[in-house]
Amino acid sequence: MTHAVVAQDLGRWYGDVVGVSDISLELEGGVVGLLGANGAGKSTFLKLLVGELRPSRGSIRVLGEEPFANARLYRQLGFSPQQDALWSDLTARETLEFLLRVGGFARKVAVERAERALARVKLTDAADRRVGGFSKGMRQRVRIAQAIAHDPAFVVLDEPLNGLDPLARRDTLQLFRELGESGTHVLVSSHVLHEVEELTRTVLLLHRGRVLAQGPASEIRALLDRRPRRVAIRAREPRKLARALLSLDGVTSVRVGNDGELDVETSRLDELQARLPQIAAEERAGVRGFTVADASLDSLFDDLVGGAR
Amino acid sequence: MRALVSSSALLFAMHVPRLLRARRTLIVLILALGPAVIAWLASHLAKSPSPGELASNAGWLLILQVVVPLTGLVLGSAAVAEEVDDRTLTYLFTRPMPRAALLLGRFAAIAVVLTAILLIGVALFLLAASRARGEGEPLVAGIARPLLCATLLGGVVYAALAAALGAFVKHPMIVGLGYAFAIEGFLANLPGRNQLLTVQHHLRSWVAASGEPAWGRVESFQASGLLEGSTALVVLASITIGALVLGSWRLSRREFVMAA
Repeated sequence: MTHAVVAQDLGRWYGDVVGVSDISLELEGGVVGLLGANGAGKSTFLKLLVGELRPSRGSIRVLGEEPFANARLYRQLGFSPQQDALWSDLTARETLEFLLRVGGFARKVAVERAERALARVKLTDAADRRVGGFSKGMRQRVRIAQAIAHDPAFVVLDEPLNGLDPLARRDTLQLFRELGESGTHVLVSSHVLHEVEELTRTVLLLHRGRVLAQGPASEIRALLDRRPRRVAIRAREPRKLARALLSLDGVTSVRVGNDGELDVETSRLDELQARLPQIAAEERAGVRGFTVADASLDSLFDDLVGGAR
Repeated sequence: MRALVSSSALLFAMHVPRLLRARRTLIVLILALGPAVIAWLASHLAKSPSPGELASNAGWLLILQVVVPLTGLVLGSAAVAEEVDDRTLTYLFTRPMPRAALLLGRFAAIAVVLTAILLIGVALFLLAASRARGEGEPLVAGIARPLLCATLLGGVVYAALAAALGAFVKHPMIVGLGYAFAIEGFLANLPGRNQLLTVQHHLRSWVAASGEPAWGRVESFQASGLLEGSTALVVLASITIGALVLGSWRLSRREFVMAA
């Protein structure tokens, strides 16, 4: 069976700056989430994958083909880049029809496919408006539409949920799921874990240009949940609350700041969240605020690779 | 080859209307109309020169040496560079089309629009020059026709050079202007074989080869050993084709790093 993507010792750098390094992997296909903090190398990896860039070292094959300037591959590939760039003086319909025609479709077929793709991203009503007047979210949807309009076997989407409102985000995730169910390989990059979790169970985790983990999203989530987390709690009676919290399972330290704010470290965030209302009521602590410190991927990466720095 | 032609035709068809709406085209139109305005002022305000003198002098010094390179470079440099600057190149280069189609299709559109603009500019210039009040040389076909042909051909040659430059360098207009006005302006006006390295020299040769005495007079301002008209024409055509072939070759191999 041909893997969707095979990378061998793949590296790419820009002068002295490393984009990605030592990436060796095989992706089976289906829907895969490419996860990484900003600057992790996701876009570089995707640009290598679609042949926008050449590797500085190693090799990459997509659907069995070397991607750089490979017309045979581009018939089977759809790419939605991260950059918010489109021909602003063209309408959404003109953009899609033009790209379909450049892709080798006859005029009539291009018209039909453009119409269908615009409907799939819910842009039919705005199809004849110039893209330059679109909101960021609408432009994002045009980019997604042009990536799927020719029914490619492999769709590569670089941060496709950026700029979308919650409703459009939900619809777009549903669209990606449908693509996956129809047998299309979908590779979606994101720096937000729960977005990827909503979409797929298969995650490729990049950090500083290297593959940190590859596997089920649940394992990444477990890593996130198991690591110690810091919580800031504001209360009317911080010292009484601090004493009570220390008895909780998973709480490893509680510090009372000069401003009366509690800094709690716990390895069982779920337990703390579940028990806090009851404890606060029993102690009459008057809880006024509860903030989980940075839960982003950056902090997870920091924890995962902290020792390696 | 069929894919190259059809993709180039699509890019041509897409780019012509976009060019007509572009600010860059308006700038080129203003530049092209400049000599006509100057000729109109000279015709109305000065008692000399004669129509023939005005057309040949201003045509040689202003149109061929300034307007033609400038307009060709301004429009031609957008062929590839605009897609790179706008970061829309990604969409084209991840489609199953020959990359050279971008250069060839957009160059063809630029050549058509530029030719139309220069045609209007030179026609108005000749009309204004024909009203000059000085006595002496009349404005005859032997002055008008070579000037018009050289202007249109020169525009296409410079546009091809600038378009091809876009496949090699990030800022083709700056490099092109540097070449046309610093290097070429210097080389073309020095006596010797170095003139052969310039587009200007071949354009002048082609104009002067028409045999019209007015061109011989103007040409004598500059210390140049001119070529046969047919030789000049072949070289200009070769420069255009060579630039496009070289640019296409480079475009099909070069990677463009697009910022997010």
